[in-house]
Amino acid sequence: MPSIRRSGGAVYFFWDGKLPNPGDEAFAAALHKRRFRTIESAASEEISAGWITPLDPTGDSFTAEDMDAGNCTWLRIRIDKKQLPRRWLQLHRDVAEKAKGKKLSAKERRELKDDLMDKLLPRILPTINMVDALLYHERKTVVLLNTSKAVGETFQKLFFESFQLPLESADPLTIGRRAGFDADTQRSLERAEPIRWFRENAKSARPVDAPVSVVEEASA
Amino acid sequence: MSTEPKRAPSGAETHGFLGEEFLTWLWFRWETEGGEFHLPGGRVVGIALDDFLTFAAPSDDETEQTLRHGLPTRTEEARTALRQGRRLRRARLILAEGPRQWTVTIDGATMRLSGAKLPEDAEECESDGDRSADRAANWLALHELLHALYASFLKARLVSEYRKTAGEKQAQWMQQ
Repeated sequence: MPSIRRSGGAVYFFWDGKLPNPGDEAFAAALHKRRFRTIESAASEEISAGWITPLDPTGDSFTAEDMDAGNCTWLRIRIDKKQLPRRWLQLHRDVAEKAKGKKLSAKERRELKDDLMDKLLPRILPTINMVDALLYHERKTVVLLNTSKAVGETFQKLFFESFQLPLESADPLTIGRRAGFDADTQRSLERAEPIRWFRENAKSARPVDAPVSVVEEASA
Repeated sequence: MSTEPKRAPSGAETHGFLGEEFLTWLWFRWETEGGEFHLPGGRVVGIALDDFLTFAAPSDDETEQTLRHGLPTRTEEARTALRQGRRLRRARLILAEGPRQWTVTIDGATMRLSGAKLPEDAEECESDGDRSADRAANWLALHELLHALYASFLKARLVSEYRKTAGEKQAQWMQQ
């Protein structure tokens, strides 16, 4: 069995609501519903994203043992992308234009592209991206071991489609909301404004509304 | 006319500045009090700023400023940026709790982590499964430590007298 990475980027998410226990069948069934589906022989440009496990890259099985990593559940998503290489398209267009002796019209360019897609795409293998996520069920926290915005959005979508629970990014506001502060502090958090330390034409970096006497003492 | 619903701004968009203030506050606390924090649950964590700092652009028309390698916190460029009241947008931190040490670059506005390095695997790890369990615990510990530090910052930052008390001390440090 491979090991979880010891380095790299990470984005943390929270969820609210009831998520099936990772040891229960309902959890595996939810993953299975949005399991990865291959696009190896697809004849069109496509992206396929779905759940797999660290031990099974096909998305066919989701046993709790395959995802057990001590205090967390080790999830993995696979994102395959099949795309006609743009350089191939350009190359064929250059050849067609040379044979014709002038530039192709928009209609001819579209027909050439459709023709190439029909011929080439079934022979092109998709690129594969596998991304890990660690789910801490008791803490309602999941860490995605990837910082790409597109991957993050794909992961959030998959999670929602599987469990009907939206994930919330751990940003400065959401972390504060979950810090267990009293109602007054929560209100202060929601209304917080940046401190503008900088004042033009002043050497002092004091907060703009600090008492003048303090600043005078500091700069004396 | 577009019928697409208007997206609510994210917490990173509305409150990203708090993450930047948090990184600047960590630097202030590290330099003035040594960087040791006593967190709830009896946890003690030490922090230090490492070899990568990015100062946020003061406005949309200005540029970010990145300092890397060596000891960027000791450079004249860094002191000048602080004197101009600039906040840290990103910083590479070293965190230590007991024998465990993490290094990680934090983006203040989004709290995304990049280039994280977890502590060495525990000596007791004999199998890949052991290693995974140990690393999973360390990813969680990193999350808990950072969030506890951020909560400590918020606790100080959100009191009504902050700008006249702790905020003023930080301002004095920034103008040195």
